Amino acid sequence: MVYRHSAVTRLTHWLFFIAFLALVSSGLQIFNAAPYLDASDKSDPARRVLQIYAPSDNVGKTIIFGHAFTTTGWLGWTDDGMGGKTGRAFPGWITIPSYQDLADGRTWHLFFAWVMVFCGVAYLIWGIARHDLRELVLRPSDVPKLLPMQLYYLRLRKEPPLHGKYNPLQKLAYTLVLFVFAPLIVLSGLALAPSFDAAFPWVTVIFGGRQFARLWHFVLMVALCGFFLMHVLLVVTTGLRNHIVSMITGRYKLGAHDGVGI
Amino acid sequence: MKRKLFIATSLSTALAGCGAIGTKLTENDRIHSILDAGEKLDRALIGTHGLAREYSVSDISRVFPINSFDTPIDVTYVRLMRNAFASYRLVVDGMVERPLSLSLAQLNAMPQTAQITRHDCVEGWSAIARWSGVALRDVIALARPEKGAGFIIFHTFDRDANGVPYYESLDLSQALHPQTLLALRQNGAPIPPDRGAPVRLKIPTQLGYKSAKWVRHIQVLPSLAHLFGGKGGYWEDQGYQWYAGI
Repeated sequence: MVYRHSAVTRLTHWLFFIAFLALVSSGLQIFNAAPYLDASDKSDPARRVLQIYAPSDNVGKTIIFGHAFTTTGWLGWTDDGMGGKTGRAFPGWITIPSYQDLADGRTWHLFFAWVMVFCGVAYLIWGIARHDLRELVLRPSDVPKLLPMQLYYLRLRKEPPLHGKYNPLQKLAYTLVLFVFAPLIVLSGLALAPSFDAAFPWVTVIFGGRQFARLWHFVLMVALCGFFLMHVLLVVTTGLRNHIVSMITGRYKLGAHDGVGI
Repeated sequence: MKRKLFIATSLSTALAGCGAIGTKLTENDRIHSILDAGEKLDRALIGTHGLAREYSVSDISRVFPINSFDTPIDVTYVRLMRNAFASYRLVVDGMVERPLSLSLAQLNAMPQTAQITRHDCVEGWSAIARWSGVALRDVIALARPEKGAGFIIFHTFDRDANGVPYYESLDLSQALHPQTLLALRQNGAPIPPDRGAPVRLKIPTQLGYKSAKWVRHIQVLPSLAHLFGGKGGYWEDQGYQWYAGI
Protein backbone atom coordinates (compact mmCIF):
# COMPACT_ATOMS: atom_id res chain seq x y z
CA MET A 1 0.00 0.00 0.00
CA VAL A 2 1.23 3.47 -0.89
CA TYR A 3 -0.30 6.91 -0.53
CA ARG A 4 -0.68 7.72 -4.21
CA HIS A 5 -3.13 10.62 -4.69
CA SER A 6 -3.24 13.83 -2.63
CA ALA A 7 -6.57 15.23 -1.44
CA VAL A 8 -6.40 18.00 -4.06
CA THR A 9 -5.81 15.44 -6.83
CA ARG A 10 -8.72 13.32 -5.64
CA LEU A 11 -11.14 16.22 -5.25
CA THR A 12 -10.27 17.82 -8.59
CA HIS A 13 -10.36 14.41 -10.30
CA TRP A 14 -14.03 13.87 -9.41
CA LEU A 15 -14.94 17.49 -10.11
CA PHE A 16 -13.23 17.14 -13.51
CA PHE A 17 -15.30 14.01 -14.11
CA ILE A 18 -18.63 15.72 -13.32
CA ALA A 19 -17.67 18.88 -15.22
CA PHE A 20 -16.51 16.88 -18.25
CA LEU A 21 -19.81 15.00 -18.55
CA ALA A 22 -21.80 18.22 -18.06
CA LEU A 23 -19.69 20.11 -20.61
CA VAL A 24 -19.93 17.45 -23.29
CA SER A 25 -23.70 16.98 -22.86
CA SER A 26 -24.47 20.70 -22.75
CA GLY A 27 -21.99 21.34 -25.55
CA LEU A 28 -23.83 18.91 -27.82
CA GLN A 29 -27.05 20.72 -26.88
CA ILE A 30 -25.43 24.00 -28.03
CA PHE A 31 -24.10 22.35 -31.21
CA ASN A 32 -27.66 21.22 -32.04
CA ALA A 33 -28.72 24.87 -32.44
CA ALA A 34 -26.43 25.19 -35.51
CA PRO A 35 -25.53 21.58 -36.41
CA TYR A 36 -22.67 22.29 -38.79
CA LEU A 37 -19.00 23.32 -38.58
CA ASP A 38 -17.16 25.59 -41.03
CA ALA A 39 -13.40 26.05 -41.43
CA SER A 40 -13.80 29.85 -41.69
CA ASP A 41 -14.35 33.06 -39.70
CA LYS A 42 -17.93 33.95 -40.76
CA SER A 43 -20.28 31.07 -41.62
CA ASP A 44 -19.47 29.77 -45.09
CA PRO A 45 -21.24 26.71 -46.57
CA ALA A 46 -18.38 26.39 -49.12
CA ARG A 47 -16.02 25.58 -46.25
CA ARG A 48 -18.36 23.24 -44.38
CA VAL A 49 -16.53 20.32 -42.77
CA LEU A 50 -19.39 18.68 -40.89
CA GLN A 51 -23.14 18.86 -41.19
CA ILE A 52 -25.74 16.77 -39.38
CA TYR A 53 -29.33 17.17 -40.53
CA ALA A 54 -32.63 15.56 -41.47
CA PRO A 55 -33.28 15.93 -45.23
CA SER A 56 -36.80 14.60 -44.62
CA ASP A 57 -38.82 12.98 -41.84
CA ASN A 58 -37.36 9.68 -40.56
CA VAL A 59 -34.00 10.26 -42.28
CA GLY A 60 -30.84 11.45 -40.52
CA LYS A 61 -27.76 12.40 -42.54
CA THR A 62 -24.20 13.23 -41.54
CA ILE A 63 -21.86 14.83 -44.06
CA ILE A 64 -18.14 14.80 -43.20
CA PHE A 65 -15.73 16.42 -45.69
CA GLY A 66 -18.37 16.00 -48.40
CA HIS A 67 -19.00 12.31 -47.70
CA ALA A 68 -22.62 11.62 -46.77
CA PHE A 69 -23.62 8.89 -44.33
CA THR A 70 -27.10 7.80 -43.29
CA THR A 71 -27.19 8.04 -39.51
CA THR A 72 -30.94 7.80 -38.81
CA GLY A 73 -31.62 7.25 -35.12
CA TRP A 74 -28.08 8.23 -34.06
CA LEU A 75 -27.48 11.61 -35.71
CA GLY A 76 -29.76 13.97 -37.62
CA TRP A 77 -33.09 12.23 -37.00
CA THR A 78 -33.06 11.36 -33.31
CA ASP A 79 -35.07 11.27 -30.10
CA ASP A 80 -36.38 14.69 -29.09
CA GLY A 81 -36.00 14.08 -25.35
CA MET A 82 -39.77 14.05 -24.91
CA GLY A 83 -40.55 10.53 -26.10
CA GLY A 84 -40.78 11.33 -29.82
CA LYS A 85 -38.43 11.59 -32.80
CA THR A 86 -37.43 14.74 -34.61
CA GLY A 87 -34.86 16.37 -36.87
CA ARG A 88 -32.11 17.01 -34.33
CA ALA A 89 -28.35 16.47 -34.68
CA PHE A 90 -27.45 14.78 -31.38
CA PRO A 91 -30.09 12.66 -29.61
CA GLY A 92 -31.85 13.65 -26.39
CA TRP A 93 -30.24 10.91 -24.30
CA ILE A 94 -26.84 12.58 -24.62
CA THR A 95 -27.78 16.29 -24.28
CA ILE A 96 -28.54 18.48 -21.25
CA PRO A 97 -31.43 19.19 -21.10
CA SER A 98 -32.61 16.18 -23.09
CA TYR A 99 -35.09 18.28 -25.11
CA GLN A 100 -34.01 21.20 -27.34
CA ASP A 101 -33.18 24.13 -25.01
CA LEU A 102 -30.23 26.29 -26.05
CA ALA A 103 -30.64 28.72 -23.13
CA ASP A 104 -30.28 26.04 -20.44
CA GLY A 105 -27.58 24.23 -22.41
CA ARG A 106 -25.58 27.46 -22.28
CA THR A 107 -26.30 27.94 -18.57
CA TRP A 108 -24.82 24.48 -17.85
CA HIS A 109 -21.92 24.95 -20.21
CA LEU A 110 -20.87 28.36 -18.88
CA PHE A 111 -21.11 27.17 -15.26
CA PHE A 112 -19.11 23.96 -15.67
CA ALA A 113 -16.57 25.67 -17.90
CA TRP A 114 -15.61 27.72 -14.85
CA VAL A 115 -15.61 24.60 -12.62
CA MET A 116 -13.19 23.02 -15.11
CA VAL A 117 -10.95 26.10 -15.28
CA PHE A 118 -10.79 26.59 -11.50
CA CYS A 119 -10.09 22.89 -10.93
CA GLY A 120 -7.41 22.95 -13.60
CA VAL A 121 -5.69 25.98 -12.09
CA ALA A 122 -5.89 24.53 -8.55
CA TYR A 123 -4.56 21.19 -9.75
CA LEU A 124 -1.64 22.75 -11.61
CA ILE A 125 -0.65 25.12 -8.78
CA TRP A 126 -0.82 22.25 -6.28
CA GLY A 127 1.04 19.90 -8.62
CA ILE A 128 3.84 22.40 -9.18
CA ALA A 129 4.10 23.36 -5.49
CA ARG A 130 4.22 19.73 -4.37
CA HIS A 131 6.39 18.56 -7.29
CA ASP A 132 3.66 15.98 -8.10
CA LEU A 133 3.66 17.00 -11.74
CA ARG A 134 7.29 15.91 -12.15
CA GLU A 135 6.19 12.28 -12.16
CA LEU A 136 3.39 12.98 -14.62
CA VAL A 137 5.06 15.05 -17.32
CA LEU A 138 6.63 13.32 -20.31
CA ARG A 139 10.42 13.82 -20.49
CA PRO A 140 12.81 13.26 -23.40
CA SER A 141 14.15 10.16 -21.61
CA ASP A 142 10.63 8.64 -21.75
CA VAL A 143 10.36 8.87 -25.53
CA PRO A 144 12.39 5.71 -26.38
CA LYS A 145 10.18 3.79 -23.93
CA LEU A 146 6.91 4.71 -25.67
CA LEU A 147 7.06 1.95 -28.29
CA PRO A 148 8.06 -0.86 -25.88
CA MET A 149 5.19 0.23 -23.60
CA GLN A 150 2.72 0.15 -26.51
CA LEU A 151 4.01 -3.33 -27.48
CA TYR A 152 3.47 -4.45 -23.89
CA TYR A 153 -0.14 -3.18 -23.99
CA LEU A 154 -0.65 -5.04 -27.28
CA ARG A 155 0.74 -8.17 -25.59
CA LEU A 156 3.63 -8.30 -28.06
CA ARG A 157 6.12 -7.87 -25.23
CA LYS A 158 6.19 -9.66 -21.90
CA GLU A 159 7.55 -6.93 -19.62
CA PRO A 160 6.83 -3.20 -19.61
CA PRO A 161 9.88 -0.93 -19.85
CA LEU A 162 11.26 0.34 -16.54
CA HIS A 163 9.22 3.30 -15.34
CA GLY A 164 8.18 5.27 -12.25
CA LYS A 165 4.74 6.04 -10.85
CA TYR A 166 3.32 6.48 -14.34
CA ASN A 167 4.37 4.62 -17.46
CA PRO A 168 5.58 6.52 -20.56
CA LEU A 169 2.26 6.21 -22.40
CA GLN A 170 0.36 7.48 -19.38
CA LYS A 171 2.76 10.40 -19.21
CA LEU A 172 2.23 11.14 -22.88
CA ALA A 173 -1.57 11.04 -22.49
CA TYR A 174 -1.62 13.18 -19.33
CA THR A 175 0.87 15.68 -20.75
CA LEU A 176 -1.19 16.08 -23.93
CA VAL A 177 -4.47 16.44 -22.04
CA LEU A 178 -3.17 18.82 -19.35
CA PHE A 179 -0.87 21.04 -21.39
CA VAL A 180 -2.25 20.89 -24.94
CA PHE A 181 -5.89 19.78 -25.20
CA ALA A 182 -7.23 21.43 -22.02
CA PRO A 183 -5.77 24.93 -22.65
CA LEU A 184 -6.76 24.77 -26.32
CA ILE A 185 -10.35 23.73 -25.63
CA VAL A 186 -10.72 26.60 -23.13
CA LEU A 187 -9.18 29.13 -25.54
CA SER A 188 -11.20 27.93 -28.55
CA GLY A 189 -14.37 28.21 -26.44
CA LEU A 190 -13.47 31.75 -25.38
CA ALA A 191 -12.69 32.61 -29.01
CA LEU A 192 -16.41 32.10 -29.76
CA ALA A 193 -17.36 34.89 -27.34
CA PRO A 194 -17.77 38.28 -29.07
CA SER A 195 -16.63 40.24 -26.00
CA PHE A 196 -13.59 38.01 -25.50
CA ASP A 197 -12.82 38.40 -29.20
CA ALA A 198 -12.96 42.20 -28.82
CA ALA A 199 -10.63 42.11 -25.80
CA PHE A 200 -8.16 39.49 -27.16
CA PRO A 201 -8.61 39.36 -30.96
CA TRP A 202 -5.39 37.33 -31.51
CA VAL A 203 -6.96 34.29 -29.84
CA THR A 204 -9.70 34.04 -32.47
CA VAL A 205 -7.12 34.70 -35.18
CA ILE A 206 -4.84 31.81 -34.14
CA PHE A 207 -7.76 29.41 -34.49
CA GLY A 208 -8.54 30.73 -37.99
CA GLY A 209 -11.65 32.75 -37.11
CA ARG A 210 -14.81 32.26 -35.07
CA GLN A 211 -16.38 29.38 -37.01
CA PHE A 212 -12.98 27.67 -37.24
CA ALA A 213 -12.62 28.02 -33.46
CA ARG A 214 -16.00 26.28 -33.14
CA LEU A 215 -14.59 23.45 -35.27
CA TRP A 216 -11.43 23.25 -33.10
CA HIS A 217 -13.57 23.26 -29.96
CA PHE A 218 -15.55 20.29 -31.32
CA VAL A 219 -12.48 18.33 -32.50
CA LEU A 220 -10.78 18.84 -29.11
CA MET A 221 -13.96 17.60 -27.41
CA VAL A 222 -13.80 14.43 -29.53
CA ALA A 223 -10.10 14.01 -28.62
CA LEU A 224 -10.85 14.42 -24.91
CA CYS A 225 -13.72 11.91 -25.20
CA GLY A 226 -11.19 9.50 -26.72
CA PHE A 227 -8.87 10.06 -23.74
CA PHE A 228 -11.81 9.59 -21.35
CA LEU A 229 -12.84 6.27 -22.96
CA MET A 230 -9.25 4.93 -22.92
CA HIS A 231 -8.85 6.08 -19.32
CA VAL A 232 -12.03 4.27 -18.22
CA LEU A 233 -11.10 1.16 -20.25
CA LEU A 234 -7.66 0.97 -18.63
CA VAL A 235 -9.04 1.63 -15.15
CA VAL A 236 -11.58 -1.17 -15.60
CA THR A 237 -9.01 -3.66 -16.95
CA THR A 238 -6.12 -2.97 -14.56
CA GLY A 239 -7.78 -3.33 -11.17
CA LEU A 240 -10.94 -1.27 -11.06
CA ARG A 241 -11.47 -1.58 -7.32
CA ASN A 242 -7.89 -0.62 -6.47
CA HIS A 243 -8.05 2.44 -8.73
CA ILE A 244 -11.44 3.64 -7.50
CA VAL A 245 -10.46 3.14 -3.83
CA SER A 246 -7.16 4.98 -4.39
CA MET A 247 -8.96 7.91 -6.03
CA ILE A 248 -11.27 8.15 -2.99
CA THR A 249 -8.92 7.40 -0.06
CA GLY A 250 -5.58 8.07 -1.75
CA ARG A 251 -4.27 4.59 -0.86
CA TYR A 252 -3.15 2.35 -3.70
CA LYS A 253 -2.09 -1.28 -3.60
CA LEU A 254 1.08 -1.67 -5.69
CA GLY A 255 1.01 -4.33 -8.40
CA ALA A 256 3.88 -6.35 -9.90
CA HIS A 257 4.87 -3.66 -12.40
CA ASP A 258 3.99 -0.55 -10.42
CA GLY A 259 6.72 1.74 -9.28
CA VAL A 260 9.60 -0.21 -10.75
CA GLY A 261 12.70 1.84 -11.34
CA ILE A 262 11.70 4.87 -9.24
CA MET B 1 -14.98 -11.17 -16.73
CA LYS B 2 -18.72 -11.16 -16.09
CA ARG B 3 -18.18 -8.62 -13.34
CA LYS B 4 -16.21 -6.37 -15.68
CA LEU B 5 -18.93 -6.63 -18.28
CA PHE B 6 -21.49 -5.74 -15.63
CA ILE B 7 -19.43 -2.73 -14.54
CA ALA B 8 -18.94 -1.55 -18.12
CA THR B 9 -22.66 -1.91 -18.84
CA SER B 10 -23.72 -0.03 -15.73
CA LEU B 11 -21.17 2.71 -16.43
CA SER B 12 -22.49 3.29 -19.94
CA THR B 13 -26.05 3.26 -18.66
CA ALA B 14 -25.06 5.85 -16.08
CA LEU B 15 -23.54 8.04 -18.83
CA ALA B 16 -26.67 7.75 -20.91
CA GLY B 17 -28.70 8.77 -17.86
CA CYS B 18 -26.56 11.89 -17.52
CA GLY B 19 -28.84 13.93 -19.80
CA ALA B 20 -31.91 12.82 -17.87
CA ILE B 21 -30.32 13.76 -14.54
CA GLY B 22 -29.23 17.09 -16.00
CA THR B 23 -32.75 17.76 -17.25
CA LYS B 24 -34.23 17.10 -13.79
CA LEU B 25 -31.61 19.35 -12.16
CA THR B 26 -32.24 22.15 -14.68
CA GLU B 27 -35.91 22.19 -13.76
CA ASN B 28 -35.06 22.71 -10.08
CA ASP B 29 -35.06 26.47 -9.38
CA ARG B 30 -32.42 26.33 -6.65
CA ILE B 31 -30.00 24.33 -8.79
CA HIS B 32 -30.68 26.69 -11.67
CA SER B 33 -29.83 29.75 -9.61
CA ILE B 34 -26.50 28.12 -8.65
CA LEU B 35 -25.75 27.43 -12.32
CA ASP B 36 -26.46 31.12 -13.07
CA ALA B 37 -23.20 31.95 -11.24
CA GLY B 38 -21.43 31.17 -14.53
CA GLU B 39 -22.95 34.27 -16.13
CA LYS B 40 -21.90 36.50 -13.21
CA LEU B 41 -18.31 35.27 -13.56
CA ASP B 42 -18.37 35.84 -17.33
CA ARG B 43 -19.65 39.38 -16.84
CA ALA B 44 -17.07 40.15 -14.14
CA LEU B 45 -14.07 38.54 -15.85
CA ILE B 46 -14.72 39.15 -19.56
CA GLY B 47 -16.89 42.26 -19.38
CA THR B 48 -16.98 44.63 -22.36
CA HIS B 49 -13.45 45.78 -23.25
CA GLY B 50 -11.70 46.53 -26.50
CA LEU B 51 -13.13 46.96 -29.96
CA ALA B 52 -14.80 44.30 -32.08
CA ARG B 53 -12.75 43.47 -35.16
CA GLU B 54 -13.63 45.55 -38.24
CA TYR B 55 -13.55 43.90 -41.66
CA SER B 56 -13.17 45.02 -45.27
CA VAL B 57 -15.92 45.28 -47.89
CA SER B 58 -14.83 41.99 -49.50
CA ASP B 59 -15.57 40.15 -46.23
CA ILE B 60 -19.28 41.05 -46.27
CA SER B 61 -21.51 37.94 -46.25
CA ARG B 62 -23.51 37.45 -49.44
CA VAL B 63 -26.37 35.98 -47.44
CA PHE B 64 -27.13 37.40 -44.02
CA PRO B 65 -29.51 35.02 -42.22
CA ILE B 66 -32.71 36.38 -40.69
CA ASN B 67 -33.33 34.88 -37.31
CA SER B 68 -36.23 36.65 -35.67
CA PHE B 69 -39.98 36.87 -35.89
CA ASP B 70 -41.56 38.20 -39.06
CA THR B 71 -41.85 41.90 -39.78
CA PRO B 72 -44.08 43.33 -37.03
CA ILE B 73 -47.83 43.42 -37.71
CA ASP B 74 -48.30 46.09 -35.04
CA VAL B 75 -50.86 48.60 -36.40
CA THR B 76 -48.65 51.62 -35.70
CA TYR B 77 -45.70 49.93 -37.37
CA VAL B 78 -47.65 48.99 -40.50
CA ARG B 79 -48.97 52.57 -40.78
CA LEU B 80 -45.42 53.97 -40.41
CA MET B 81 -44.05 51.54 -42.98
CA ARG B 82 -46.70 52.53 -45.58
CA ASN B 83 -45.62 56.11 -45.09
CA ALA B 84 -41.89 55.22 -45.55
CA PHE B 85 -41.43 55.98 -41.83
CA ALA B 86 -41.93 59.73 -42.43
CA SER B 87 -43.79 60.08 -39.13
CA TYR B 88 -41.50 57.70 -37.19
CA ARG B 89 -40.18 59.11 -33.92
CA LEU B 90 -37.51 57.57 -31.70
CA VAL B 91 -38.52 58.48 -28.17
CA VAL B 92 -35.78 58.75 -25.51
CA ASP B 93 -37.00 59.24 -21.94
CA GLY B 94 -36.82 57.95 -18.38
CA MET B 95 -33.97 59.15 -16.16
CA VAL B 96 -32.77 61.84 -18.56
CA GLU B 97 -32.48 65.58 -18.17
CA ARG B 98 -33.68 66.16 -21.72
CA PRO B 99 -36.23 63.69 -23.15
CA LEU B 100 -36.03 63.39 -26.94
CA SER B 101 -38.31 62.58 -29.83
CA LEU B 102 -36.18 62.18 -32.94
CA SER B 103 -37.42 61.85 -36.52
CA LEU B 104 -35.47 59.87 -39.11
CA ALA B 105 -34.40 63.17 -40.67
CA GLN B 106 -33.01 64.33 -37.34
CA LEU B 107 -31.18 61.02 -36.83
CA ASN B 108 -29.74 61.29 -40.34
CA ALA B 109 -28.60 64.85 -39.60
CA MET B 110 -26.55 63.67 -36.59
CA PRO B 111 -22.89 62.59 -37.07
CA GLN B 112 -22.93 59.23 -38.88
CA THR B 113 -20.61 56.34 -38.15
CA ALA B 114 -20.08 53.06 -40.02
CA GLN B 115 -18.65 49.64 -39.15
CA ILE B 116 -18.13 46.37 -41.00
CA THR B 117 -18.43 43.90 -38.17
CA ARG B 118 -19.24 40.27 -37.56
CA HIS B 119 -22.63 39.38 -36.13
CA ASP B 120 -22.30 36.37 -33.82
CA CYS B 121 -25.52 34.49 -33.23
CA VAL B 122 -26.10 32.65 -29.94
CA GLU B 123 -26.89 29.58 -32.09
CA GLY B 124 -23.31 29.53 -33.31
CA TRP B 125 -23.30 31.04 -36.82
CA SER B 126 -21.67 34.33 -37.86
CA ALA B 127 -22.29 36.80 -40.69
CA ILE B 128 -20.55 40.03 -41.68
CA ALA B 129 -22.29 43.24 -42.82
CA ARG B 130 -21.69 46.96 -43.01
CA TRP B 131 -23.82 48.89 -40.56
CA SER B 132 -24.10 52.67 -40.46
CA GLY B 133 -26.07 55.18 -38.44
CA VAL B 134 -25.73 57.10 -35.19
CA ALA B 135 -23.53 55.99 -32.31
CA LEU B 136 -25.82 55.27 -29.38
CA ARG B 137 -23.56 57.27 -27.08
CA ASP B 138 -24.24 60.42 -29.14
CA VAL B 139 -28.00 60.05 -28.60
CA ILE B 140 -27.47 59.32 -24.91
CA ALA B 141 -25.19 62.35 -24.54
CA LEU B 142 -27.92 64.48 -26.14
CA ALA B 143 -30.49 63.22 -23.62
CA ARG B 144 -28.08 63.56 -20.65
CA PRO B 145 -28.76 60.65 -18.23
CA GLU B 146 -29.38 61.61 -14.62
CA LYS B 147 -27.37 60.29 -11.67
CA GLY B 148 -28.42 56.76 -10.77
CA ALA B 149 -29.19 55.74 -14.35
CA GLY B 150 -28.04 52.14 -14.73
CA PHE B 151 -29.61 50.61 -17.82
CA ILE B 152 -30.71 51.58 -21.29
CA ILE B 153 -33.88 49.77 -22.37
CA PHE B 154 -34.89 49.29 -26.00
CA HIS B 155 -38.59 48.87 -26.65
CA THR B 156 -39.53 47.65 -30.14
CA PHE B 157 -42.56 47.31 -32.42
CA ASP B 158 -42.09 43.54 -32.25
CA ARG B 159 -44.24 40.98 -30.43
CA ASP B 160 -44.18 37.19 -30.39
CA ALA B 161 -47.15 34.98 -31.36
CA ASN B 162 -48.55 35.34 -27.84
CA GLY B 163 -48.36 39.12 -27.91
CA VAL B 164 -45.33 39.34 -25.59
CA PRO B 165 -43.29 42.44 -26.54
CA TYR B 166 -39.66 42.12 -27.63
CA TYR B 167 -37.34 44.37 -25.65
CA GLU B 168 -33.66 44.44 -24.77
CA SER B 169 -31.33 46.27 -22.41
CA LEU B 170 -27.69 47.28 -22.05
CA ASP B 171 -25.80 48.66 -19.09
CA LEU B 172 -24.20 52.08 -19.41
CA SER B 173 -20.72 50.77 -20.27
CA GLN B 174 -22.13 48.69 -23.14
CA ALA B 175 -24.38 51.54 -24.31
CA LEU B 176 -21.49 54.04 -24.32
CA HIS B 177 -19.14 51.64 -26.17
CA PRO B 178 -18.01 53.43 -29.36
CA GLN B 179 -19.20 50.60 -31.63
CA THR B 180 -22.71 50.38 -30.16
CA LEU B 181 -24.79 51.71 -33.01
CA LEU B 182 -28.33 52.80 -33.75
CA ALA B 183 -28.16 51.45 -37.29
CA LEU B 184 -30.13 53.16 -40.06
CA ARG B 185 -28.49 51.37 -43.00
CA GLN B 186 -27.24 47.85 -43.74
CA ASN B 187 -24.69 47.49 -46.56
CA GLY B 188 -25.44 51.06 -47.65
CA ALA B 189 -29.22 50.74 -48.07
CA PRO B 190 -31.90 51.70 -45.54
CA ILE B 191 -32.52 48.74 -43.25
CA PRO B 192 -35.29 46.60 -44.85
CA PRO B 193 -38.49 45.98 -42.84
CA ASP B 194 -37.63 42.33 -42.14
CA ARG B 195 -34.23 43.37 -40.73
CA GLY B 196 -35.47 45.99 -38.31
CA ALA B 197 -36.45 49.14 -40.26
CA PRO B 198 -36.13 51.98 -39.73
CA VAL B 199 -33.82 51.87 -36.66
CA ARG B 200 -32.21 48.84 -35.07
CA LEU B 201 -29.55 48.36 -32.47
CA LYS B 202 -26.21 46.86 -33.52
CA ILE B 203 -23.78 45.90 -30.78
CA PRO B 204 -20.92 43.80 -32.20
CA THR B 205 -19.37 43.02 -28.78
CA GLN B 206 -22.46 41.00 -27.79
CA LEU B 207 -24.31 38.01 -29.22
CA GLY B 208 -26.96 38.81 -31.83
CA TYR B 209 -30.03 38.68 -29.61
CA LYS B 210 -28.93 41.92 -27.92
CA SER B 211 -29.15 43.80 -31.24
CA ALA B 212 -32.88 44.60 -31.06
CA LYS B 213 -34.68 45.30 -34.33
CA TRP B 214 -37.51 47.83 -34.90
CA VAL B 215 -36.52 50.08 -31.99
CA ARG B 216 -39.22 52.63 -31.12
CA HIS B 217 -38.41 53.83 -27.60
CA ILE B 218 -35.23 54.10 -25.57
CA GLN B 219 -35.79 54.29 -21.84
CA VAL B 220 -33.16 55.05 -19.19
CA LEU B 221 -33.85 53.25 -15.90
CA PRO B 222 -32.05 52.54 -12.60
CA SER B 223 -32.75 48.78 -12.77
CA LEU B 224 -34.38 46.05 -14.85
CA ALA B 225 -36.48 44.59 -12.07
CA HIS B 226 -39.86 46.10 -12.90
CA LEU B 227 -39.89 45.50 -16.65
CA PHE B 228 -41.84 42.54 -18.04
CA GLY B 229 -40.11 39.36 -16.76
CA GLY B 230 -37.52 41.39 -14.87
CA LYS B 231 -34.50 39.86 -16.60
CA GLY B 232 -33.83 42.74 -18.98
CA GLY B 233 -34.93 41.32 -22.33
CA TYR B 234 -37.35 39.11 -24.23
CA TRP B 235 -34.85 36.25 -24.54
CA GLU B 236 -33.44 36.87 -21.06
CA ASP B 237 -36.96 36.38 -19.68
CA GLN B 238 -36.93 32.96 -21.45
CA GLY B 239 -33.71 31.90 -19.73
CA TYR B 240 -30.96 33.35 -21.95
CA GLN B 241 -28.12 35.17 -20.19
CA TRP B 242 -28.41 38.95 -19.81
CA TYR B 243 -24.63 39.16 -20.31
CA ALA B 244 -24.34 38.13 -23.95
CA GLY B 245 -20.60 38.76 -24.34
CA ILE B 246 -20.02 34.99 -24.43
